Amino acid sequence: MFFHIVLERNMQLHPRHFGRNLRENLVSKLMKDVEGTCSGRHGFVVAITGIENIGKGLIRDGTGFVTFPVKYQCVVFRPFKGEILEAVVTMVNKMGFFAEAGPVQIFVSNHLIPDDMEFQSGDMPNYTTSDGSVKIQKDSEVRLKIIGTRVDATEIFCIGTIKDDFLGVINDPATA
Amino acid sequence: MSVEPFNKLVKLAARAFYDDITTKGDNQPKTGRSDNRGIAVVVLDALTRRQWVREEDLAKDLKLHSKQLRRTLRFFEEEKLITRDHRRETAKGAKIFSAAVAATADGQHPTKEGEEKIKLHTHSYCCLDYAQIYDVVRYRMHRMKKKLKDELDEKNTVQEYICPNCAKRYTALDALRLISMDDEYFHCESCNGELVAESDKLAAQEGGDGDDNARKRRREKLRDMLDKLEVQLKPLVEQLTRVKDLPVPEFGTLQAWEARASAAARSNGDSSGNDPSRSSQGLGGTPMPFLGDTKVEVAFSGVEGKGEGIKSEAESTSLKVLPPWMIKQGMNLTKEQRGEIKQEAKMDGSSVAVEFSDDKKSTESDDKKNLQDEYVKAYYAALLKKQQELEEAAKKQQELSNTSLFDGLSGTSSGRQVGMKSKRDEDEGDDVEWEEAPVAGNSNENYKVDLNVEADATAEAEAEVEDDDDVDWEEG
Repeated sequence: MFFHIVLERNMQLHPRHFGRNLRENLVSKLMKDVEGTCSGRHGFVVAITGIENIGKGLIRDGTGFVTFPVKYQCVVFRPFKGEILEAVVTMVNKMGFFAEAGPVQIFVSNHLIPDDMEFQSGDMPNYTTSDGSVKIQKDSEVRLKIIGTRVDATEIFCIGTIKDDFLGVINDPATA
Repeated sequence: MSVEPFNKLVKLAARAFYDDITTKGDNQPKTGRSDNRGIAVVVLDALTRRQWVREEDLAKDLKLHSKQLRRTLRFFEEEKLITRDHRRETAKGAKIFSAAVAATADGQHPTKEGEEKIKLHTHSYCCLDYAQIYDVVRYRMHRMKKKLKDELDEKNTVQEYICPNCAKRYTALDALRLISMDDEYFHCESCNGELVAESDKLAAQEGGDGDDNARKRRREKLRDMLDKLEVQLKPLVEQLTRVKDLPVPEFGTLQAWEARASAAARSNGDSSGNDPSRSSQGLGGTPMPFLGDTKVEVAFSGVEGKGEGIKSEAESTSLKVLPPWMIKQGMNLTKEQRGEIKQEAKMDGSSVAVEFSDDKKSTESDDKKNLQDEYVKAYYAALLKKQQELEEAAKKQQELSNTSLFDGLSGTSSGRQVGMKSKRDEDEGDDVEWEEAPVAGNSNENYKVDLNVEADATAEAEAEVEDDDDVDWEEG
């Protein structure tokens, strides 16, 4: 699920950036530092949408670096248990398959794949129904439901299922 | 608070879950002789018939070796079915417990008074914890059903993987760390062994994974198991629902239970059950309610026409037809209590005070002594009249009080020492105890006479009151 929230961060700026473009330098550095990171609390920071406020800088003793407290608005993505996501399959193996929904990695184990789909090993390992009409392989797009999340301080990993109504392949690259 | 439904619950649970529990380690060979399956059921059944029980006693009752029993009990403690208590205690402390047991089980009373050993032994006690048993059984059923159901519809379960080499377990949440670049399997982090999915273990012993037929068979098997579980545990479920709204029998901690049991024994008027617990514990809390009865006794002195105004009032109001045994009981306790307090208060000063008062008496206050002697004589004249109805015990009592009074104050101190608790136990029993308290009271009053010169008249009256108390107890 996506959220638009305000976060705060203490930015350290090198003295060489001081000058007319100090503010622009500060913002670009913030974007470089923050976008794409993941915190267990808020999820993945997708994009910074604006700067709320930049506080007074504080010169660090000894280094000359200046610390600015910056408040910024950003879009974060945090997966939740029970959430339905669309994801791209990245790897298929005997134990199930891995998929990605943006920055989040999701594992679907083989017992959470419908019973009528069988694992086919080979050059392009895949799960296929007995009549061959539905096939899950690398780069397939699937709709899945998250049934468990593992949230570490800097990492979020999910496990999902496609064994439910309206879940499964939504766009097969082979047929497209 | 009925224990019966809970006992039934325990018995059912024991047979359902602990029937084939063996406390032997797996490494020991199971010969026919050492096979102790079913012992868990026996022990649990035995515990339903008891409250707190010393484990040695239980072992003796069950004709089990105490080690074997302890192993079983430890298992139950881990299962949270029983609570245990260990304490280091003397032989005397063990006696408290025996007294409490006798009070609840109203079996034979422990009469033997073994000499006190200073050596401390660690004794273990155990007791069923009904409230927890109820929760444990419910939780167990819930887990069983959940496990089967989850596996049946294979939905929303986090797949578990297990390493066959080192038995390390992983969940699907660890999957990212487990994939290896070489092949399509998961590998153990520590030993790099190939992981196998864990849930297949319970129901699927069939070869050939992923076979359509096999899956169907597995589902059937699971459903079968679930049905069987429902049917076979039905009595247990029914018992659980029956017990649901009943108040849970609660024995409290070992100490609380002992105190309550001995208190209950006392209020039953169970004098023999009373003795050991009191002699060893001397519970301070319980005698308080009987203070009212003391007044009744004091007022009884007014029958002889010598009581004070207030006290006779008290008498007229509270001198009901109290059954004699009740008076005896009440007096017994309060007197003891009072005597103790006085002893404590006077103990340090008594040796000095006795000497001191003796000196005083001999030198300066002879007249008071005479007065007192006169009073004593008059009192005993009155007393003798009364004593025609009295029994032998009364005579004995009179002798004792005579000696204590006629000997003068020097005698009282020795009398008081006689009244020490330790002796009381082995002596004739209750009669002696009742006598002692008034002796202490008398001596106390006498001190008053000596020390408070101006208050001797009232002191005498009080002394007399105390003496009258003697008479009453003799009657009772």
